[in-house]
This record gives sequence, structure tokens and C-alpha cells, in this order.
Amino acid sequence: MAFYDKLFSTLGLSDWCGDSGDEAPLSLADLAARAGGEEASGPLVPIPSFDNLHESCNRVWQSRDVTNGIEEGFLAAKPALKTVLDPITQPLSWMLDGALWLFEAMPWFIMVPLLVAISWYASRSRPVTIFVAVSIMLLAVVDHYDVAMQTLSIIFVCTTISVLFGVPIGIAMSKSDRLQKSVVPLLDLLQTLPTFVYLIPLIFLFSVTESKLYGIAIILYAIVPVIRLTDLGIRLVDQDVIEAANAFGMKDRQKLMRVQLPLALPNIMAGINQTIMMSLAMVVIASLVSAPGLGVNVLRGIRNLELGVGIVAGIGIVLLAVILDRVSKAALTRVDKTQVKH
Amino acid sequence: MTQPMVSLSGLYKIFGARDKDVLQHVKGGMGKEELLAQHGHVLGLNNINVDMQAGEITVVMGLSGSGKSTLIRHLNRLIEPTAGEIIVQGEDVMQLSEDGLRHARQEKMSMVFQKFALLPHKTVLKNAGMPLSVRGEPEADCDKEAAKWLDRVGLSGFENHYPAQLSGGMQQRVGIARALSANTPIMLMDEAFSALDPLIRTDMQDLLLELQKELHKTIIFITHDLDEALKLADHLVILKDGFVVQQGEPQHILLNPNDPYIEDFVSDINRARVLRVRSIMTPLVGGKVPKDAHGEVDVNDTLESMIARSGGDTSHAYIVKDGEQTVGTLDMTELVRALVPRVASEAGARQS
Repeated sequence: MAFYDKLFSTLGLSDWCGDSGDEAPLSLADLAARAGGEEASGPLVPIPSFDNLHESCNRVWQSRDVTNGIEEGFLAAKPALKTVLDPITQPLSWMLDGALWLFEAMPWFIMVPLLVAISWYASRSRPVTIFVAVSIMLLAVVDHYDVAMQTLSIIFVCTTISVLFGVPIGIAMSKSDRLQKSVVPLLDLLQTLPTFVYLIPLIFLFSVTESKLYGIAIILYAIVPVIRLTDLGIRLVDQDVIEAANAFGMKDRQKLMRVQLPLALPNIMAGINQTIMMSLAMVVIASLVSAPGLGVNVLRGIRNLELGVGIVAGIGIVLLAVILDRVSKAALTRVDKTQVKH
Repeated sequence: MTQPMVSLSGLYKIFGARDKDVLQHVKGGMGKEELLAQHGHVLGLNNINVDMQAGEITVVMGLSGSGKSTLIRHLNRLIEPTAGEIIVQGEDVMQLSEDGLRHARQEKMSMVFQKFALLPHKTVLKNAGMPLSVRGEPEADCDKEAAKWLDRVGLSGFENHYPAQLSGGMQQRVGIARALSANTPIMLMDEAFSALDPLIRTDMQDLLLELQKELHKTIIFITHDLDEALKLADHLVILKDGFVVQQGEPQHILLNPNDPYIEDFVSDINRARVLRVRSIMTPLVGGKVPKDAHGEVDVNDTLESMIARSGGDTSHAYIVKDGEQTVGTLDMTELVRALVPRVASEAGARQS
């Protein structure tokens, strides 16, 4: 005799509910109860959940129907989604594979000086450049150069794409309050959703051997800060300067290119810095779905309990993170310095 | 009288969502406080009718909240009016299309701002040339024109500095050079010198007058400083709570204030420095020139210079000349009387 039987009979729904003679055990608790020969004694008033209501009325869903429903719905939509998404995202696979090939094919005696030169160009800071050179050599000495380059190639592609999409989205958000209101909850969702959860629907949609699978997961996670800070940066531009731009008859496009973007640049750069950091964080998790790089070694360390392998790879990731952070931050301060506010 | 360069008539501005609806209350005579209390709308401008003549400096003066900055932003429609007409060079600004308005802002009116509003990431040279480059003129021309005006405002040698490296006064010189390089007939100056310290401000006022002598622009100048207003104005408009309390020739307003608000204002002024001989002389209407005159003075001499010249002796009298022509006589006793504001002299009369 289930608790909610009375409720359904007073509502006159007993007939609609049908015979509750469902004898199949529903859960482990039921099985245990049956084995023990007595009814499972729950709390005095059971919470009106699907499962509890189902005991009184067959027509009511069970909770497992909800999860099943989501799964079936997703599987039903999958062919349509796949036909649309597959061609659109295919270039991402090519880019990731291409970058991976390029970073690996480039001989180290060209690649290392190139990276050092790029750090110098971006930061114009001697300590930062020396740090980059030393760090890469450290990684190379413990034979982690190749995996580090794999990780770097993924970050390179994902950050570039995040910036290419994120900055225009941020600009559009700064122009329209309505768009901002509708996009912000989505960004909140992307940022708070546990990173593993991204992977589940993606695994259903694409095959695990495709590199776009981890590419999309990384981009979805890492694009958020660059969108947010572009929007914020443009909205924070000094209104007096905007008024001057209007007073001298600038077109919207001129205003954007000559005033808003340059003045928002420090904020946008801060967003890019965050985007790089977040794609690095995600690239480790993405190794679960065949992303190559340092993450694979970390995973190996966890799986096989190879402490040393995991820790060396972990330190490698830290080094990479510090390199990327210092170079992009130094670039940021350099940009900031040329436009001291009055 | 020639057609005014800028003509505002029946201009109203009410801030709020239902501005058109509450306009009738304002037209019915409702004041700023009542409107805010009863309808939650802020009255910005109330029936403004001002003509600004070509080649003159029109100064709009008022305390903060009087609507003067709102007024100047109507000329180039940075703020849209609730009702009224804005005619610039015979053209109704309200009828302009978006392109037409942009064109007017580029070619007809340039603006100088209280907080300078320079582009911090561009050099002084590029800032000064900005109006030209907005129009799409070749960079070399922009730079050449910008350098010319920077030199004119005394900033040659600073072309490659960034605005943040300059002092406030120098930044505003860049602001003026920027407005001048636009080569527009009209210049809007929104409290352009208010953020500067007094000495620099005087320098900048002199610079403006000197430039104006040469360029004959139509300048609309906003200020809250009566001394500044009197120094610069050819035509003075005094605003209070969004309506025009009095407008006219500054000397005339100073000698004949028509409102207690203005009397309060003018009572603190150094009248000797502001008033000129022409405002207080006795015109020569067929009368004879006094034989005991101590000399000849120009109509535009200030009373201060007269006091210095006479050595403070009130028995002196002078012949007033406008160029070659004798136009009147000046008795030093008259001069001393004119130095006392009307309110003060009336108060004194009551006491005795």
C-alpha cells in the first residue's frame, strides 16, 4: 500500500491510473524489501517524487524515464544535428590536425628559436624571453618536448578560433542590451557546467577519433572570457571620447575601429589571456577523448598509478601555463602603457 | 540684420520616457521642480529662443543644472530636442538625414570639450588631424593641417607626444587645434576652460580671442564663470533652470540686470575691468566738447585703465573717440558711480 494511493482515489483518477499490479521490482530497495519479506519502511510522508507517485499510479513516469527520455531525444535528434554540425565543424578537425602536423614536423632547432622570438616580439621583456627559452629547454631535457608541442598546437588553434569568434560576439553584445541579456546566461552556463559534461553529448555526436571533438569542447569552455571582456571593455570606453567621436561625425564603423576597439584593447587582451589559460586547463581533460599532448601522460599517471610520469607531465603543464601567461600578460602591459588615461 | 548663423526657436527638452506628453504642462507654465515632483520628468530646456550671429562669440552662461551643456548639444544633435527648431546656416538641423547630420558635424560644427576627450592612444598630431581623417582625407594632408594648427596654438614640438604626457592646459590646446583643423564655420565650446587652473584659463581665453580676431568663426561658448563670459562674449545668454533669463550685449546686461538672479551674479564682478568707456559715456548729441578735457580716450578702453590714467582724480573729464570720430564725453564722477552695482547703490540709498 503506497502512500499516495489515497490521493489518486480522491481525485477520481484510479481508473486512469490503471492497475498498479506492476510486480516487477523497480529498484534495488524494492528487491531488498522483497527479499526481507516486508515493505520498505520509508519516512512518514514520502517526498512526492516520480518514483514514489509511480508506486500509486502506473501512469506516472518513473525518474529513469526522464533520463531515458533525454537520451532518446538526443539520439533522435542526432542524425539531423550530425548532418548540420559535421560539415560546419570539419574545418576545425583539419586545422587541429594541420597544426599538430606542423608543430611536430618543424625541427626543434627552428621551432625553439621561433617560439623565443615570438615571446620577445610579444612581450619586449628580456626576463620573460629568457624564462621562455629556459622552460622549453627544461621540457626538452626530460623528453617532453614533443608532447608539449602537441599541447601547444591545440591551444594555438583553439585560442585563435575563440578570439576570431569571441571578439565579434563581444562587440555585438556591447551594441545591443537585448543580445547581452540573452547571451550572458548562456556564458554563465558554459562556465559553470562541469568540464566533463561538455564531453558527453559531443561523444555521441562525433566519433572519438575525430580531433574536432576535443576542439569543440575546448573552444566552448575557453571562448567565454574573451566574449565577456570584449563586451565589458567596449562598454567601459570613456563616454566623453565617444561623444567627441560623434561630434566630429564618425561613422559607426570608424568609431569602432578608431575609438572603441583600441580603447578596449587592454580588456580584450586580458580576456585573451584568460582564454589561453582556460584552453590549457581543458586540454588536459580533453585527453580523455584522444587529445594528444601532456594530458595523455597525466592520464597515464592516473590510470596506471605511475606517480613520476604524472607529476613530470603536470609540471610540464605548469611550465607551459606560466610561459603563456607571462608572455600574454607582458604583451598586455605593453599595450596598456601606450594609453595611460588622463 | 543679416540672417543669423544659428537660430534656435521654441526649443524644449524634457528628459524622460513620456517627454512629448508632459510637454503641454511645461508649455502651460509648469516649472522644473513641479514637473519633477508631479510627472517624474526633468526639464532640460524651456522655450529657448536665441539667435547666434556669424563671426560673433555667443556665450551661454548659467550655473550647473541650468541646461547650458544640454543646449550646446542640441546644435549638433548629440541630444534630440523634445520640440523646437534648430536652424544652422538656413538649414533645419532637425530635418537632416543621418548622413546629412554626419556631414554637418564634419563640415559645419566642431566641438571642444570640458574634459578634452582626446584619443589617448593617438599622438597629439593624429588627435589634431582627427576631424580631417574622419572625412577620409589623405594622411599627409591631415598631418600637414594638424601641424599647422598645433603650431598656431603654441604646441609645435609636441606632435609626437601622447595626450597623457601633456598638462591639462596643453591637452586643451590640442582640443582647440583639433576643432580648428576641422575648418568649420561654427565652433562649439562646452566649458572648454573650466577644468583648467585660473592662470592657464586666462592664457587660453587670450588665445581664443587672438584666434578669433583672425578667423572670425561663429563660436558658441558655454561657461559657468561670469568673468569669463564677460571677457569673451559679443552676445551673452544667461540660463536658469532651462530658460533664458536675459540675453544681450554683456555690458548692457551688467548695467541693466533684469532679474534678481542676474543681479546676484553681477554683484561680485570686477566692474572696472569689464565695463568699457562706450557703455557709460555721455553720447555727443550735437553738444559741445568740454574745453577743460584732460585728453582723449578710446571707446573700448576699460574703466580700469581710465582710473589708472586719471590717477584717481574724479574731477577729470575726457573726450571719447571712436577711431577718428568724437563720439562722447566721459566724466570721471560718472565712472565712479558706474562702478557700484545698482542693487548696492539702491541699498545704500535706502540706508541714508
